[in-house]
Amino acid sequence: MVEPLYEVLARSAFVSLSATLVASVLGIGLGTMLALARLPGRRLLTAVVNTGMAVPTVVVGLAVALVLWRSGPLGELGLIYTVQGMIVAQVLIATPLITGITMAAIQLLPAELPDQLRSLGANRAQLVLRLWIEARLPLLAAAMAGFGHAISEVGAATIVGGNIHGHTQVMTTAIVESVGQGEFGVAIFYGAVLLGLAFLINGLLVSVQQRGTSWARS
Amino acid sequence: MGAELNLTDVRQVRGGREVLRVDSLQVASGEHLSVLGPNGAGKTTLLRLLAAVDSPHSGAVTVDGVGTSRGGVHLRRRVAYATQRPGLLSCSVRRNVELPLRWRKVPRRLRGELATTALERLRVGHLADRPARALSGGEQQRVSLARALAVDPAVLLLDEPAAGLDAQSRAAFFADLEQALADRATTVVQVSHRAEEALRLADRVVVLVDGQVHQVGSPTVLNGSPADASVAALVGYDNLVDVYVRPDGAVVVDDAPTGLTHPGPAGPATVAVFANGVRLVGDDLPGLPVRISRVTPGPGHRVVALDGAASLQAQLPIDAAAPVTGDTARAVFDPSLSAVIPTAHGQHFDPAPDADRPRRAVARP
Repeated sequence: MVEPLYEVLARSAFVSLSATLVASVLGIGLGTMLALARLPGRRLLTAVVNTGMAVPTVVVGLAVALVLWRSGPLGELGLIYTVQGMIVAQVLIATPLITGITMAAIQLLPAELPDQLRSLGANRAQLVLRLWIEARLPLLAAAMAGFGHAISEVGAATIVGGNIHGHTQVMTTAIVESVGQGEFGVAIFYGAVLLGLAFLINGLLVSVQQRGTSWARS
Repeated sequence: MGAELNLTDVRQVRGGREVLRVDSLQVASGEHLSVLGPNGAGKTTLLRLLAAVDSPHSGAVTVDGVGTSRGGVHLRRRVAYATQRPGLLSCSVRRNVELPLRWRKVPRRLRGELATTALERLRVGHLADRPARALSGGEQQRVSLARALAVDPAVLLLDEPAAGLDAQSRAAFFADLEQALADRATTVVQVSHRAEEALRLADRVVVLVDGQVHQVGSPTVLNGSPADASVAALVGYDNLVDVYVRPDGAVVVDDAPTGLTHPGPAGPATVAVFANGVRLVGDDLPGLPVRISRVTPGPGHRVVALDGAASLQAQLPIDAAAPVTGDTARAVFDPSLSAVIPTAHGQHFDPAPDADRPRRAVARP
């Protein structure tokens, strides 16, 4: 049975947006901590994050599949070949990217800004929140990059999701499947739709970004 | 209400190097203290300790008896610190001033009133709705100060508050600052490398050189009795001259009289003289034999460079007879514009070639 396109499209958007949301929370938090805190092993952690940005998505998919496999350490959760499992994989793909960009964005703020905020009477939470507001443009760019990375990846989605029609098939795995079947016209059409979806979501994020700019200036 | 500040046996170390050492310093509640020192003297380091932004390597810094390393955010909220760079946030001027009030849970309506009052007091009320970072340097300095004053701090710390402003803007800025502080009991600590700024607002001045306190005293004491040559140079004395104090009290350079006497013990000393304290008299009168090497016009006066027994800089009224380059004359020092600093007090001036009878004298550039 062929699943309607809009369902595959909606699933793609749901998986990638959910993963981006979770990865943004994790990545912005971790990136801020790495930028500000004087932790032992900070350099090592930074190197790990930077490496994570370059890990092939298929390798992430393989690692996640091994962990979520029925006989794996988290097999009892039953996440293999599920949308939730795909979200876990995409979170792992997007988080290092968002962390790395966040860390750079916070470090590019004027060096004296944290001390300045402290001396103005900010507590730790107020300080971090203000730093995020000051770095709002690159932070939104980080989220957009994370989303782009998640929605365009195919390796992890295939391995962890299994490309099951009506269940875990997303746009990228549908394109790969169409090419495998020699249906290039369908693949090109799916590709164009996927591009449109990415454009639409990034457009929404840009509009939030610009509104955030005018809000923070007021 | 101000707060009392106390530093005891404070040492601050950066990169393995001691950058500040203060054995003991108290600032009374409501006192205005200036810290004068050259770049790299440890002035900002001292302010950061008082602002509880940094903790001392050793020793104690207290605000009303509470250690800054233990006081946390409550203590920091009693202290306002205006850093050298205005550090305004990327929002409107009003929001910049209101933010620290919001952090202190001041009700919204009162926040607006306090911000408006503070901005108007610093003459930037009309800029309230402008983006803060679009303002000129001088306007940003004023907004930064308004932000610090709006929270009505017990302690106000000012780090070179007029840095980057031209002379005219600096004068206007300090006039407004003086007015803004006039009806407050706030304890103020201001650091500067400019004597005219440090002395202007101060009840007392601390002179810091190479992280060490060289002198603490009122502006009058610093002006009249600098502890050593480095203090004299910072206070603004234009000439530092190696001299010898004779047993009869006469102060001489190479047996030539300077016109000064000193009651202290005989021996080598340094004389600090303001340029307008150097008088030129005829060749036939007692004084230091000098030759006029250059005459340059200044606002309302002439600057005359002299060499000979001493390299000096003199400042003559514009209506006095214009000296001619190459002419010789005698120079004497006006006692009311000079200070004799015995070498034993630890002056940092270059030692004279002959320890007993110094010959060299240098005008500060």
